[in-house]
Formats: sequence, C-alpha cells, structure tokens
Amino acid sequence: MALTLYHWEPNANSGKPMLALAEKGVDYDSHYLDLLSFDQHKPEYLAVNPEGTIPALVHGDRVLTESTPIMEYVDEAFDGPSLRPQDPAARWRMRWWMRYFDAYFAPSVSMLGWNVFVGPSVRQRDQEQLANAIDRIPLESRRIAWRKAIFNQFSQEELDESIRRTRAGIEVLETHLAANRWIAGDEYSLGDINGFNLAYALPLSQPDHCNDDKTPHILAWLRAIYRRPATKETWAKGKTDMASRVTFLEG
Amino acid sequence: MLELYHWEPNGLFLKPLIALHEKDARFTSHYFDASRLEQLDEGFPGNVESRLHLEREGPVLVDGDEIITSTFFMLEYINDSLPGIDLKPGGAFEHYRMQAWGQKIATILSPAVCALGCATYLSIDESLRSRIDAIEPLERRNLWLDVLNGRYDASAVAGMREHLKGTIGLMETTLNQDPWLAGEEYSIADIDAFAMIRPLPQLAPDVVNSDETPALLAFIERVSQRPAVATAMSAARTEHPETCFVPGCEASRWG
Repeated sequence: MALTLYHWEPNANSGKPMLALAEKGVDYDSHYLDLLSFDQHKPEYLAVNPEGTIPALVHGDRVLTESTPIMEYVDEAFDGPSLRPQDPAARWRMRWWMRYFDAYFAPSVSMLGWNVFVGPSVRQRDQEQLANAIDRIPLESRRIAWRKAIFNQFSQEELDESIRRTRAGIEVLETHLAANRWIAGDEYSLGDINGFNLAYALPLSQPDHCNDDKTPHILAWLRAIYRRPATKETWAKGKTDMASRVTFLEG
Repeated sequence: MLELYHWEPNGLFLKPLIALHEKDARFTSHYFDASRLEQLDEGFPGNVESRLHLEREGPVLVDGDEIITSTFFMLEYINDSLPGIDLKPGGAFEHYRMQAWGQKIATILSPAVCALGCATYLSIDESLRSRIDAIEPLERRNLWLDVLNGRYDASAVAGMREHLKGTIGLMETTLNQDPWLAGEEYSIADIDAFAMIRPLPQLAPDVVNSDETPALLAFIERVSQRPAVATAMSAARTEHPETCFVPGCEASRWG
C-alpha cells in the first residue's frame, strides 16, 4: 500500500510522524509543504485534507490528519521496534504526557514561535495577497492564529500567559525527567518523540530557564534523543534554519 | 481491587462507570460531590498527573499504586488492563479513528459542554471562596473563579454553542455513514462521546434536535439501551444527574 506523508519542517506536529516513521524504519513518499507559502491551503492539498492542517498521512485509501493519533497508527500498522510500552499503566502515562504536551505546553511554545518567527517571516509580503491567503484558510481557529501572527496582533496578556505556561511546563518536565529516564518510564516511546518535537529548541528560546544548570535532565534527555540515528536522519530533512538549530545538541 | 472516585453519572464522570460495567469489572465506588470541592479533601488520591491533568475536575481510577486520570486515556487503560468485552475492536485505522475522536471531544467538545453546563446549572456561593482561592494550579482555580464571579455572560454562552456546532456536525455526518464513531463496532469512542452529548438535547436544543441531528439522537437512544449504561446511571444520587456540571476542560487559547 502506498504511503505518503504531507509535512513541513521536522518540528512540532510535522516532526512527530516523521520521527515515528524513521524510528520504525518505514519508507514513505515525502511531500514537503511550505507553511510560509501557504501550501497547506492550496486546492491540491485541501483535496487531501479539507481542514488544511499539516501533517496528513495517506496510507492506501486511508487519510489520517491528527499528528499524535497518527504516531500510534504508525506504531501499530508497521513492523519495526515497538514505540509504545506493553504495560497498560506505562502506556497510559505516555498518553497522559502527550496530551499535556499537545494541549498545554506546545500551544504556548508555538504561540511564542509564531510571534517571533512565522509572523515576521511573511509580514513584509503584499498585504492584499496575505489577506486573501488568510481568507482561504478553512478552519476559523487557524484563520485567527494566522491573522494574529501576520499582523502582530497577539496581545501582551496572551504572550505573557504563554511565557508563564512555557516556564511552568519546563519545570514540570524537568521534575518528571529527574525521576524517569524517558517520558513513559523506562522505555523510549512516542511520548519522547512528541516531547522532542516540542522541546528541542527550548534551550535556545528560553536560555535562562532551560539550560544545563537549571534543567540538566531536560538537556540530557534532548541530547540522548538527538543521538539516535532516526532523529539525525529526520532533522537532516529540514530546509530552514529552524530545523538546523538542532545541531547545538551535538556532543 | 479497583477503586473509582466519581460524582454523578454525567459527562466526564459517567465514562469510566460505563466502561467498567461493560467489562463487568468489580470495583469499589467512592462517591464525592465535585460541586462542593470534596476532591480537595484530605485523603483524596493524588499525584503529579492528577494535579495537572487538563480536564481539571473528573473521575480518578486507583489501581494499586497507579492513579489514573484524563478520561479518554482512562477508558483506554480500562480496556488495556481488564479482561472482558473488547472496547477497542478493529485494527490500526479503527484505533486511529477512536483516538482522533477522543482528542476532538477532549479539546473542543468537552470545554464547550462543561462551560455551558456550568453556566446553565451550577450555582456556588461565597462559602467556597477560600477553598477556591487555594486551588493549584492557577488554570484550575481560574475556571472556578469564572463561575463564582459570574463571568459567563450571554455572549460567552452564545460562543460556546457555536463551538459545539462544528464537532456535533461532524458526529452527525459520521453517524450517517457508519453505525458507530469508529466504524462498524461499538468502542470507547462511543462511550466517550455519549457521556458528553447525553445532556445536550436539554442543554443545547438549538444544536442537538430531531431536525438537525436525527442520527445523533438515535445514537444517544441506542447507547442508552445498553445494560452497562443503565447500571452506570444507577449510581445517581440526584434526580437529574444530567444537570451536574463542574468547571474544567479549558478551551483552546488559540480561539
């Protein structure tokens, strides 16, 4: 059965299935969408995923569009090393942490990222073209996000709250990793793949709060994941400076 | 022996009651009044995950040393760890569909249902203020303060109804194509959805009604007929469990 992954950079939601597929040793047709050129809102991609969100995995006639459940699908549908613990409690813990990452930690980290990277990257373009591009976004929540990022409309209150949550998340993660080698406990799992996509650049974006002195367990965990061949292979597929930042984890 | 800490059989609290009865599992029931904040009493089970889970208030399942929270994942745990009926039937793609529903219900539908339920039915008084002021983390405290300080105005309630419509419309479309949310067979996705949408014909009749969502109403009726659901509902101590709501499930900060 043909397998195609539509993705952007190895980062956040796109990076989750990319790294899971690499860990499983599964070959796939890679279809890179340039988020900053709004490829994900063009008709050819909306024919695949009408919601216009990235990533999407197409396996035969099956279309999957939610990145964390996609990772579980990849682990179950393909041969290769298991990326989910067998023990039900450890598996529950992996899922609990992935939800904490997806719904609490990552939205705050990403709001800050959109404010300093995505918005400024496209803001200088023709304003009418940008307005038209926003109007073509299918989901209202994504239209709001793009409008705020492009036109610099995140309120200071929103940004302050994202900073507070990001730092709270860093503390919670450090405490967890001080007591557990990996997110689910003793085994490397999808929880670590998810967490790496969220956290690999935190030492650069939050240097005063995420560093070798204050969060040694987070740094050791990030380096251990980056040493894995699948991680290096996946981040080498990046085309922007955002992905290449990961090399600071060398050594 | 499993121990389930729960309130009235409604919303989040109803889900594990149904799943445990579907499994015909033996468990000890610990009933608490979540609207009186009895979950903050000394001796209530807790750990890092129960303090930080994103539904904020909800049932707690204790299995030996394990303290399980976050209801969709609790349903997966119940299925993964107990013998009996398979509540995750099918293969990888059906499991993906269940989890995608679980995610949508937790992050989009539940915040709207809980907020609407609180705005419509929940009344708390100043006697709880000192307990609320001590709640950690801040996000959990703020959801209670919204209720105490009457922050659910008419426009906020209208906004919550709009949030419901998207997910409810998607469920209606799915149930017009398949008998169950993940396809051909009853699963944890149906338990997860049923528990949250059961109060909606009364709570949001403009969204869930016989003209616009006939398949959804038939689904509610079909799940209600299951013996495990009837047994779960018998845990009620009030006449109208469908009116029992507490704050929780924060809406997305991205709009």
